[in-house]
Amino acid sequence: MTWSLVGLLVLIYARLQLVRHGELSEQALQQAVKVRPIPAPRGLVLDRNGNRLVDNRRALHLVIQREDLPTKPEVVASLAAALELDPAALTRKIQSYWQAGKGRPLVLKENLDEVGIALAERIRARFPFLSVEVAPRRVYLGDELAGHVLGYVGEVDEQMMKEKHDVFRLGETIGKEGFEASGNDKLKGVDGQKRILVDQLGTEVANFGQADAQTGRSLFLTLDAGLQKVAEDAMGQEAGAVVVLDLRDGGVLAMYSSPSYDPNLFLNRLSQDMVDRYLANNVTRPMVNRAIQGIYAPGSTFKLLIAIAALEKGVITPQTPIFCGGRKNFYGRDFRCDKPTGHGSLNMVQAIAQSCDVYFYELASRMDIDDIYATAEKYGLTERTGIDLPQEKRTRIPSREWKRKAVPRDPKWYAGETISVGIGQGAVGVTPLGLARFYALLATRGKMLTPHLFYGFRDDQTNALEPAAVPAFKDTPLDPKIWSVLAEGLHEVVQSGTAAANPFIREIAKEIPFAGKTGTAQVATFVDKAHYARQAKKLKDHALFAGYAPVDHPQIAFAVVVENAGFGSTAAAPVAAKLVKYWCVDRLTNPLPPPRGRMVDPFAPQQPQEPEASE
Amino acid sequence: MKERFRALDPRLLWVLLALIALGTLTLYSAGRNTVQATIWLKQSVWNLLGLSLMLLLASMDPRRIFRYSFVAYLLGLAALAAVLVVGKKIGGSTRWFSIAGQTFQPSELMKWVTLLYLSQRLGSRNADTVGRLELVGAIGLVVFPMLLIERQPDLGMALSFLPILLIIPLMKGLRARWIVALVLLVLAGGFGAWKFALKPYQKQRVMIFLDPSSDLKKKGYQVNQSKIAIGSGGLIGKGFTSGSQTQLNFLPVKTTDFAFSVWAEERGFLGVLLALGLFGLLMSRILDAARAAHTNPEAYFCAGAAGIFGLHLLVNVGMVAGALPNKGMVLPFFSAGGSSTLSFFLALGLIMGILHRSRVK
Repeated sequence: MTWSLVGLLVLIYARLQLVRHGELSEQALQQAVKVRPIPAPRGLVLDRNGNRLVDNRRALHLVIQREDLPTKPEVVASLAAALELDPAALTRKIQSYWQAGKGRPLVLKENLDEVGIALAERIRARFPFLSVEVAPRRVYLGDELAGHVLGYVGEVDEQMMKEKHDVFRLGETIGKEGFEASGNDKLKGVDGQKRILVDQLGTEVANFGQADAQTGRSLFLTLDAGLQKVAEDAMGQEAGAVVVLDLRDGGVLAMYSSPSYDPNLFLNRLSQDMVDRYLANNVTRPMVNRAIQGIYAPGSTFKLLIAIAALEKGVITPQTPIFCGGRKNFYGRDFRCDKPTGHGSLNMVQAIAQSCDVYFYELASRMDIDDIYATAEKYGLTERTGIDLPQEKRTRIPSREWKRKAVPRDPKWYAGETISVGIGQGAVGVTPLGLARFYALLATRGKMLTPHLFYGFRDDQTNALEPAAVPAFKDTPLDPKIWSVLAEGLHEVVQSGTAAANPFIREIAKEIPFAGKTGTAQVATFVDKAHYARQAKKLKDHALFAGYAPVDHPQIAFAVVVENAGFGSTAAAPVAAKLVKYWCVDRLTNPLPPPRGRMVDPFAPQQPQEPEASE
Repeated sequence: MKERFRALDPRLLWVLLALIALGTLTLYSAGRNTVQATIWLKQSVWNLLGLSLMLLLASMDPRRIFRYSFVAYLLGLAALAAVLVVGKKIGGSTRWFSIAGQTFQPSELMKWVTLLYLSQRLGSRNADTVGRLELVGAIGLVVFPMLLIERQPDLGMALSFLPILLIIPLMKGLRARWIVALVLLVLAGGFGAWKFALKPYQKQRVMIFLDPSSDLKKKGYQVNQSKIAIGSGGLIGKGFTSGSQTQLNFLPVKTTDFAFSVWAEERGFLGVLLALGLFGLLMSRILDAARAAHTNPEAYFCAGAAGIFGLHLLVNVGMVAGALPNKGMVLPFFSAGGSSTLSFFLALGLIMGILHRSRVK
């Protein structure tokens, strides 16, 4: 009796320990030995002088490892409730992670602060499959300084996975906006891997060896943090955009879109407050990079293109005087000059300096719209500039073909429409970047630069710049005779013309002679000036100023747009003057300190770690 | 004092000491790196206390002990009733008295007291004149404490009373109809229990036993982890304190219900053979005592004790290997626990006393 009982048990154990040994050993190994990816930190982003714009910090994320993903709907539901997540979205995410097989863990909450860590510890008792993972995190040191240029990173989303599932891996951190997105391939590293022994709670007990993650390469941008700061301060509360280009190579020295946003805030799941402030805000639209996505009527800044077209076409000579009586009738309709009393008789230099509308109505009337379009095409105003940022918009220069496509119910081009184009109104629309590139072309007598932000990688040993190849530029030389007329006109704008009325401009121009053109782009039509003055701010004109500096050996070209601010000379030109002064004087004698955000480490645990990827 | 030690049966004692050694090693390994790191020390205290009580009981005349069996049975019933009222609730069950920070489980001892009382009651009768009504009454004496224990609820413990009923076929000469009647009784009891008495978690245990892969995440998870532990141990085991399932906490409740899996993982099939061999020797020595006993009550007690030890061995060792439902029945000398340890030693003390008396006279 006794021994038959013992014998029965021996048989049961022989089956498990001798027959099924291999299979069960495999299972024991599988649940105790895990291969976990080590997320690679992205490269740092520096300005042209090596100041850090984007840094890395350590962060703690609340995650679920792939093999621990919960399956029971009620578990998922109570987890969603505990973390205040949307249960449907969480279920969908868990399912997509199931299907994707091995890889990064599912991140439930990113960049845990003290409160988050306490919460994680508390609910881990109920949900033992949760774990806290250390991963690198981005810090944007300038806060709003260059939000649109730098962009931000985030987890690759469902949409992107669907579109390019062979490129992105689930759970991967990628650039979402700005240079983080367009330079993603340059900045991203290569994830490492480790084989570890884990206990039942998934805690690492031993490490059997790992392939280290390769940090992404750090790189320099062409931005000058100091000049960028000047642009930010000069714009203040006004909406608009600033672009400054380096005339040597087309590098973007400053690009500021106002209102800006703080990329640091976009690293975490969006709060309702942020959605209200940034995403659902249709009035100021802070997420739009106005420098490359804002389409503005160029106003008088467009007159230079009309001048080139007229001179090249031979419909006028620079010396030919045209009389301005304050208004002129074309095709049975009165077109008014900005100066109601009239400018009298003007040659081209004077017309540019005084920004006489009648003069340029007259030039436009002597040409066909397609002539103007052809000139704009020749000097690169009809195409995107090709800057290395995502979603650049195209400038809009009207032509007969354009109208056929854009206004199908009234496809015919009327000669009267050409008159408005003569002063940069009507259907004409340019991006501030496109405008800056056009003025760079004027400054360089015909170099069509390709604006770019990527300056070069950082040499990991010396921390020095390895300059990248300058993007190709097209040479479309301006006739020197034409150029000298334009240059003189632009200089006179600041010396004696529309911009010289402002004493602040005069003072800076005395120190550093610069050239430029004011512009005032109508947003709405008004009966008279009194009516205009009574209107709400949002209906006021956009102020523009575009030009280059210094006059003799130009180094920079710029375009400034201040929305709903009134005249170009009072609102936009002072911003440009500040940029010129910093670049030509203060930068060399008294440069601004490198950026340091107000919240250098808003999410770090109590004792902040040393930067992950420091020298 | 020397006289007292002579009362200990050397063959039983050596087997017992060997099993205690195995159990202590197992608990040391199982408690390592957990909050129960000192559980092997705590259990050693219980073992020493148990050995002392065993020595005390072994040197007493068994007949004196049998004389108090009725009183002990009544006290036991009172204790079972009391624990339902004032007992401490742990994990949804009210099984324990809590005295001075120490919990005591009366049902553990009651099992042996019931065996003692029934052996005494039936053993003092002439087997041929015992009426059917009286036998039904005897069955009732076993079933009544089982019902009280089932109220706690503690089905595993209640079922461990069943070997006591072996006394009846034993005294009636192992007749076929008694065996059939017993099997029918167990089946009817099982059906009745499934229909009326079983709690959902108990039904679930049975269902998981029938199909362990159906619910790996709950109870089946424990058994599955235990099977992985045992199977991955192989022939010679992973080595003392080197079992990955044990040390990384994949193995659940490893200091009590699943202690034997720890031994099987770290010592392998050879270790299992050793442990099962020792249990076999233990039981066959207890059956020796049953054969050698001078009186019927003594013989019945030893036979019932062998049955109880055998049931614990079968259910626990079979359960951790996934061959029987997850019942929560402890394995003597391996599973940590004060009440069960002391009860086993008390029973063995009485058995040694019976063996001693059979040798002396």
